[in-house]
Amino acid sequence: MAQTTSVATSAEPSDEGPDFEPPPVARRSGRLTDRWIARLSVAPAMLFLVGLFLFPLLWAVVLSFSTYSATRNQPIEWVWFGNYVDVLTSDQVWERAITTLIFVVAAVGLQTLVGFGIAWLLSRQQRGRGALTVLLLLPMMLSPVVVGAFWKLMLDSQFGVVNRFLEAVGVGQVLWLTQPRLALFSLVVVDSWQWTPFIMVIALAGLTAVPDYLFEAAEIDRASEWFKFRHITLPLVWPLLLIAIMFRAIDAFRLFDIVYVVTGGGPGSSTETLSYHLYKIAFQNSDTAVASAYGILMVIVVTIATQFYVKYLTRVQAK
Amino acid sequence: MRRTPTLRRWGVVLTAMLVVLAGCSSGDDDASGDPTSGDATGTEAETTAGTDDATEPADEGTGETETAAAGDGEPVELSVVWFEWAPAQLLEDFANQEYSKVNPNVTISMDAVPNPQWHDAIFTQFAARQTDFDIAILDSQWIGEAVEGGHVLDLTEFAAESINPDDYPQNLLSAYGQYPRAEDGLYDPAGNLYGLPALADSYVLVYRKDLIGEPPATWDEMIDKAAACQEENEGMYGLAFHGSGGSDEAAVMLNTQLWTHGGEIWDPQELQVEGILNSPENIEAATQLTDEMLPLTPPGFVGTAFISEVNAAMAQGQTCMGFNWVAGLEGLQTPEVSGALGETEEEILEKLGFARVPTDETEIVSLGGMGMSVSAYTENEQEVLDFLAWFQQPEVQVAWGAFGGVPAQTAALESDEFLSARPWNPAFVESVEDLKDFWNMPEYFRLLDIHNSEANAMLSGTQSAEDTLNNIASQQQEVMDEIREGGL
Repeated sequence: MAQTTSVATSAEPSDEGPDFEPPPVARRSGRLTDRWIARLSVAPAMLFLVGLFLFPLLWAVVLSFSTYSATRNQPIEWVWFGNYVDVLTSDQVWERAITTLIFVVAAVGLQTLVGFGIAWLLSRQQRGRGALTVLLLLPMMLSPVVVGAFWKLMLDSQFGVVNRFLEAVGVGQVLWLTQPRLALFSLVVVDSWQWTPFIMVIALAGLTAVPDYLFEAAEIDRASEWFKFRHITLPLVWPLLLIAIMFRAIDAFRLFDIVYVVTGGGPGSSTETLSYHLYKIAFQNSDTAVASAYGILMVIVVTIATQFYVKYLTRVQAK
Repeated sequence: MRRTPTLRRWGVVLTAMLVVLAGCSSGDDDASGDPTSGDATGTEAETTAGTDDATEPADEGTGETETAAAGDGEPVELSVVWFEWAPAQLLEDFANQEYSKVNPNVTISMDAVPNPQWHDAIFTQFAARQTDFDIAILDSQWIGEAVEGGHVLDLTEFAAESINPDDYPQNLLSAYGQYPRAEDGLYDPAGNLYGLPALADSYVLVYRKDLIGEPPATWDEMIDKAAACQEENEGMYGLAFHGSGGSDEAAVMLNTQLWTHGGEIWDPQELQVEGILNSPENIEAATQLTDEMLPLTPPGFVGTAFISEVNAAMAQGQTCMGFNWVAGLEGLQTPEVSGALGETEEEILEKLGFARVPTDETEIVSLGGMGMSVSAYTENEQEVLDFLAWFQQPEVQVAWGAFGGVPAQTAALESDEFLSARPWNPAFVESVEDLKDFWNMPEYFRLLDIHNSEANAMLSGTQSAEDTLNNIASQQQEVMDEIREGGL
C-alpha cells in the first residue's frame, strides 16, 4: 500500500486526477501469511536436512541401544548402553584412538607448518602468485582414493618410484608400508601432500589481508623481520589459521579413504584409525548396533572437542 | 507465551519423524520377511517345479540342452557379482559364448568389483533386501552369513533335480554350497545346499624349472632349494607368498603353514581356539615361517603381497618360487605378462613350472574357489536356475575347463581338455582331495579380522610367531565364548 501511494504521487498529474493503474498483485489466499511463505520456503531444505542428517542420526542412536545387525535375520534385543560400554572398554578401540590421535597431531601439525610457510612465501611474491597458488591447490582437487592409489604405487617397497629414487641416491630401500611407524608416517605424508594447500590458501587469504600500513609503521621504527612476523603477521593471521586447523583436525579425525587404499590398516592394525575400525565393524562384521554406538561416540568426541576449540577461538578473536 | 508454539513445533517435527520412522520400519519388516522365510521357501517349490519343466536333467543333458525358455520370451540379462580378476572375465565370456547357443534370450553380465569391496558390494545390497544382481559368487566362508540372513535361495530341492552329487569331489561340493558344513568337510546328502560351484581353486607352487630343477616334494626341501637358489642367483630371492592385510590373504598363508605341519586352528566341536591354535607345535611351525621362510622373500614384499604381486615377482624373475592361487595364475604363461622370461609361451614354460604345494606332516592344501548363490531378491529366478542347471552339466564343466576356468566336477578335472588347457591344471588336480577350508559361520569376518591382521603383522616382520598365535588365540576365544553363550 505504501509503495502504491508513493508511485501514485510521483506519477504525472492530470486534470481528471491520476490515471495510474497499479500493477496487478498476485492473488494470495488469506491463510498464506508471510510467516507461512517463509516456512514453505525453507521446508525443502529442512526436509533434506531432516531426511539425510537428522533422521539417520536419530535412527543410529536408536539402533545403538539394540543388537540389530543389517545383514543377519535375528530378533532385536535392547541392550541399552551395553554397546557403548563395550566400545569404551575395548582395548582395540583405545589402540585405534591413540593411532588416530597421533595421526591428527602429526598430519595437522605438518600441514600447518608447511602450509603457512608456503603461504608466507607466496604473500611476499607479487609476480605469478595467482598461477602458483592454482598449481599448489591442484592436489586438493583430486579424489582421496586416487591420491591413495598412486601413492601406494609410488611407496611400494619393490617397484615404487620413491624407493627407486632413494636407491639411486644411495639411501637404500625403505619399507614405507610394511613397518608400523613408517606406515603411519607414510599416511601423514600422503594426507599432507593433499591437504597442505587447504591450510595454505586460508593462511594466504589472512596474510594478504594484513594492512600494509602496519608494516610501513614497523619499517619506520626499524623493526626486524622477525618482530614484524611475531607481532604483526602472526597475531592477525592466527584466528583464521585456527579455523583452518579446526576443519583439518575434524577431517583428519575421521580419516578413512587413504588408510583404506594405502595401507588397509596394516601392517597388523598399526595404521587402523577409528573410522577404519568402525567401517570393519559395520560392513564386514555386520555389527550394525555396535557400529552405531561407535559412530555416536565419535560424533560426541568431535562435538565436545570442537566446543572447546571454538571457545578458545572466540577468546583469541576477542583479543 | 513462547513455550507453547515451540513445543507445538517440536511436536509437529517429532510426529513427522515418527511417521517416517514407522514407514521405514514397516517397509523393512515387509522386505526382510519376504525373502528370508516364506518367499524363499515358496519360490523354492515353484523353482523346482519350474525347473522340471524348463531344464532337462543333468545326466541326460548335453552342453546344448534345450530349455523351455530358449528362443522365445523377452531378452533377459542376468547380473553376476564377483571380484575383479581374470576368471571373472573368463566366466562372462564363456557363459555368453556357450549359453547363448542354448538360450539366446539370456545374456550374462559380470559386475567385477575390486577385491577389497567384494564382500561389501554383495552384503550392503543384502542389507537393503534388494539386489541389482541375480547371482552372487560368494567366497566359501561367507555362505553362513548369507544363509543366516536369508539372503540366498535354498537350492537343495533344485539341486536334487538338477545335479548328481557324485559328479563332484565331495569336499568341493560341500565347501562351495553347504551350510552348515559337515564336520569332515565332505558333502552331506542330508544337508542343505545354498550354492553350486562356480570355480574351484587351491594354492599351487610356481617354481623356476631352470633354476630349481625338480619341484620340492617336502616343506623342508622347499626351504633348502629356495635358500640355495637365492644364494646362487644374485639379485633373486628364494620365495614369494601372500601376506597382505586385505581379506584372508595373510591368514591363508599362515593356515597353510600350520595345516601342512599337522596343526589345527580350532576345535569346531568345542569352539575352542586357546591351546589349539597357539599349541607348541603350531608355534614351532609359525616360527619356521618367520625365521626361515620370510628371510628368503624380497624385503618388505610379503606384507603387501597378494595374487598380482606374487605373479609379478615370478614374471619379472625376482623370485625362484612362489605360492599362488591356481585361478589367479591366468596370463602368467604369456609373453605379455612374463616377457622377462621369454618371448614365446614355450620359452616361458621352459622356465616356469607348477607343482602341488609341498607336504610335511600332512598333505593338506588351502582351499580357494567359490560357488554361485542365487539372490533371494532376484526378479529372474527361473532364468537364473536354468542357467545354473546348464552350467553344472558335465559337458559344460568340461568346456568350462577347456576355456580356462577351473571346474569342480571329477570328470571335468580328469579330462584331457582341462589337463592340457593350462600348464598348472595338473598340479591343481593333484591337490583336490587334500583341500581344506576354514570357518564357515556368520562370525567369519570377526574371526578373520583378528586372524588376518595378526598374521599380516607377523608376515610384515613386526611381530614374533609366538606373540601372533597367542594374540589370535586369546581374541578369537573371546568370540567363540560369545557364540557359546549365544551372545552373537
